[in-house]
Amino acid sequence: MALLLMLVLPLGFAGIWRLQHSIDSQLASVSQDRDDILLRSGKLVKWLSLEYAPLMADIYWTRVVQYYGNKHVRGQANLDLLWPLLDITTTLDPNLIVAYRFGAMFLSQAPPAGAGRPDQAVELIRRGIQANPDYWRLYEDLGFVYYTDLKDYQKASEAFLEGSKKPDAQLWMKVMAAKIAADGESFSTSMFLWKDIYESTSDPLIKKNALSRLKLLRAQEDCKQLDALADEYAKRNGRRPARMSDLVQAGLLPGIPKDPEGFVYVFGGEGRVELNLDSPLLEQQLLLERYDKVLPR
Amino acid sequence: MKRVGIVALNTFREAVRDRVLYNLVFFALLMMLAAVVVGQISIGIEESVIVSLGLSAISVIGLLISVFIGVALVSKEMEKRTLYALLAKPVRRWEFLLGKFGGLLLTLAVNTAAMAAGLFLVMLYVKHSLQPSDAVVLVAVYFIWLKLALIVALALLFSCYTTPLLALLFTSGLYIVGLYVQELRDLPAQVMSPAMVAFTKWLSYLLPNFENFNVMAMAAHGRAVPGTLILQNTLYAVIYCAIVLTCAAAVFSRKSLK
Repeated sequence: MALLLMLVLPLGFAGIWRLQHSIDSQLASVSQDRDDILLRSGKLVKWLSLEYAPLMADIYWTRVVQYYGNKHVRGQANLDLLWPLLDITTTLDPNLIVAYRFGAMFLSQAPPAGAGRPDQAVELIRRGIQANPDYWRLYEDLGFVYYTDLKDYQKASEAFLEGSKKPDAQLWMKVMAAKIAADGESFSTSMFLWKDIYESTSDPLIKKNALSRLKLLRAQEDCKQLDALADEYAKRNGRRPARMSDLVQAGLLPGIPKDPEGFVYVFGGEGRVELNLDSPLLEQQLLLERYDKVLPR
Repeated sequence: MKRVGIVALNTFREAVRDRVLYNLVFFALLMMLAAVVVGQISIGIEESVIVSLGLSAISVIGLLISVFIGVALVSKEMEKRTLYALLAKPVRRWEFLLGKFGGLLLTLAVNTAAMAAGLFLVMLYVKHSLQPSDAVVLVAVYFIWLKLALIVALALLFSCYTTPLLALLFTSGLYIVGLYVQELRDLPAQVMSPAMVAFTKWLSYLLPNFENFNVMAMAAHGRAVPGTLILQNTLYAVIYCAIVLTCAAAVFSRKSLK
């Protein structure tokens, strides 16, 4: 009997294993990849959660992270369920700060990094501020969305100023409010804000995105400065430089300049400095430019 | 009072013999799994999910014990005919009931305390240190225990005059209704008659309000629970249990045991 069991159990389960794999592939071929959430009302989900709403909020937040992560990995820009999932999460637990902070980031970023819905990000953060009025970081996030995605510098400045009045707010919030009010968008402000995101987040996806935005900002600033040098070269020689080595030979640069990814900058058709066609930063720049053109502000 | 204590101690011993405390193994496994898995599949909620999950597990396990054992406290003694031997001794019926209630409460206290200790160990593992603000978790555990005491009292009352199955349904039903007492108060008054408004308001104060004891969200976010609320909830549970147990004793004293 024991021998029979020793034979039947491994063989039987090996058969089940193989069979399940073929069933999975069979089902995958007939079913479409469909995202759905059964209940879209946060209030109803809260009502059905009995007294376990905080735990349900954690579960829904994990679902948000999984949904966003899966879409991100597959490179899919359609994040339609992000808002309803975040709505349910924050209704279940209005004090789950992480859902407002990261959720706003997922919503506001340009596709494919996010849903490209800064308007919903603003609504989410405002809801968070209403439930947690003394948490200054939410004002920072609000100011960040207004500054980076909506380019509404007046409102960005107001958000930073309002946040600076909250307990434990960092001193730079007030400085940021004044700087944005005076200068609007500037390289140093953008660098500071993305650097703060990079340093304060523990999520690898957001960290990676912040790093690439920092690199892109650096590259854009480099291009500006190199253009200024090219103008100087044109003044001296009566023509724009054709390649970077011209600037080096003219003594305007100590060496061939490279972008943060290590690719040499090039001169484009109109004689302006551009990113190298091989640079991964170029794809990101083009995506952001397309997003800027498509989305209404 | 000594007789009550003896019945209580025997009820506790019986629960231990019935391997009721085995649920602690399940709790320990659940918490260990959560501590390892959550950090990998989510962002920024490692600490709060441990507290939410731990408190929810303490509550659910406690609920199952209080409802299922609570409704069987009297009927089991009757089925096994041990009640007759016990009542032949100088033990009054209300003393027997109070002893049974105390015994299950002691079982729940030991069980809840052990799970709370486990929860703190997992919190220590996840957070690497404990803060004074984590004491709110203890308050939440205490509130769960108060809630369970009320449920045991209700289960005991129902089991005194009906079958265990019906007592189970009544207790569970009243527990669920007790979670929505606030909704009963918030019913739109403009679509109801004044008599109905008065009735729902009256009913909402009569029903046990289990939402009073729910501070899980506060515990998950490390927000302090006011001392007044601890006192008020303790008084609420004591008074409500006293009312329910008095009713149970009245029913049980008139119950025909033939």
